[in-house]
Amino acid sequence: MTHYPTPSDFEAQTNATYEALMWALSRPGRARGLPQAGQAGIILTLIDRECAIYTDSEELRAVAASTGAHPVAAECADHLFLTSVPNVAFLRQLRQGSDMYPEEGATLVLPASFKGNTRLRLTGPGVDGEITINLDAPPVIWTARKQIMRYPMGFEIFLVDGDQVIGLPRTTEIEVL
Amino acid sequence: MSIKSLTKEWEPMAYGFLDASAKREIRRKTLKAIAVPGCQMPYASREVPMARGWGTGGLQISCTLINPQTTVKVIDQGADDSVNAASIRRFLSRVSGAPTTMDTLKADLIQSRHRIPEEKLREDQVLVLQVPNPEPLRPVQPNMSIARQMHADADYGRMWLQLYEQIVRSGRVMQGASYPSLVHGRFVMTPSPIPRWDVPKMHMAKHLTILSAGREKRLHAVPPFARVEPLVFDDVPYRVEDHGDLTCTRSGAKGYFMNEIPQDDGSSTYEVSDSELGVKTIRQRDGEGTAIGATWYEEGRMPQ
Repeated sequence: MTHYPTPSDFEAQTNATYEALMWALSRPGRARGLPQAGQAGIILTLIDRECAIYTDSEELRAVAASTGAHPVAAECADHLFLTSVPNVAFLRQLRQGSDMYPEEGATLVLPASFKGNTRLRLTGPGVDGEITINLDAPPVIWTARKQIMRYPMGFEIFLVDGDQVIGLPRTTEIEVL
Repeated sequence: MSIKSLTKEWEPMAYGFLDASAKREIRRKTLKAIAVPGCQMPYASREVPMARGWGTGGLQISCTLINPQTTVKVIDQGADDSVNAASIRRFLSRVSGAPTTMDTLKADLIQSRHRIPEEKLREDQVLVLQVPNPEPLRPVQPNMSIARQMHADADYGRMWLQLYEQIVRSGRVMQGASYPSLVHGRFVMTPSPIPRWDVPKMHMAKHLTILSAGREKRLHAVPPFARVEPLVFDDVPYRVEDHGDLTCTRSGAKGYFMNEIPQDDGSSTYEVSDSELGVKTIRQRDGEGTAIGATWYEEGRMPQ
């Protein structure tokens, strides 16, 4: 009888987390379920010694340190894990990559509530026509995001509400309603 | 931090063959590839027990995505039962315990060499295409550093010139497979050597496509509902292979991409390239209950 390997808990969890992130980014605006609440699971799924990360949370700093990632300033980080929605000045300094290497743009992970008062209409790749989402983040962030990024340069945003995640790739057009 | 805290207990083999750091790198690069559709992302491309050029790129994506609940289908030039497809399928199953299938409708993850199944893919399915040459500019610019700069500048003039020269010389575009296509209006990508027949299936498709070249160490992606437009001139429309009116001699399936089988008398017969579709057509003809899903082409034509 063939012996099949079984995934460890770590493998199963990071595999499921990645699947949620991949589909969240492929279908912007659609919430996907993470296997556990919070941002720590995302760090374990994506981050290792090759990454430069920034976080303003003590707890996540410890998780990040355990992966061997370099802690750096926000403007140098390829992955950022924040405890609150940043202001426009913060978005402006994020890495956006270059036209030659757009993949060097940052990935920003933010806490959010998907039941807030800001209504956003999303269009672009991954969206069938259009989709509307509710967020608690201030509208000014979304208009600024549009001004800051020049495709193909830009950054990706993951919004985490408990164990739900919404992905906003740089290709998504966001309109504040 | 110590070396011990960064390591883990010994295992005979990492789940899904690839080690955790290889998977994390592929995850990060695939996410960026989805965010910038059609843009080639460099990645490390680890060793797998298969020669480079035999689908190692696709295999690494599949190994990253796979878990015991993922039903896997592997295609080689449309067939599920050729050596390359059968051995990749067995490898994926052995390193993960994932169930395998030949039925497009039952698969969660489809790794394919050079064909997109004829049955429409759903929005929960992932298509992984094996790519031998991810650089569409290579025929016009062999220096990959300059080619990257051309992608950065969206400088695709030579690409158009190449197509124009083919039309002037031969009266039609001679590009048979891997037809250069513009993704989301910005990056020209090669859709891997799928026939022209399959390129329109990528346009605004519901499924996620990840294209990975293991030898060339680059991957790119086409997210769902993204524009994929083959490069064509306004007055020379895009043409797929004239297979719409052919009938499969074995199954009787009509209006799909066919393999040409030369005969001793110089003539040709045809059989449907998507082997599982042929099998299903035969089963249905014989009265066995088999569901054939909706197909992209209807009666040999792609609905506009």
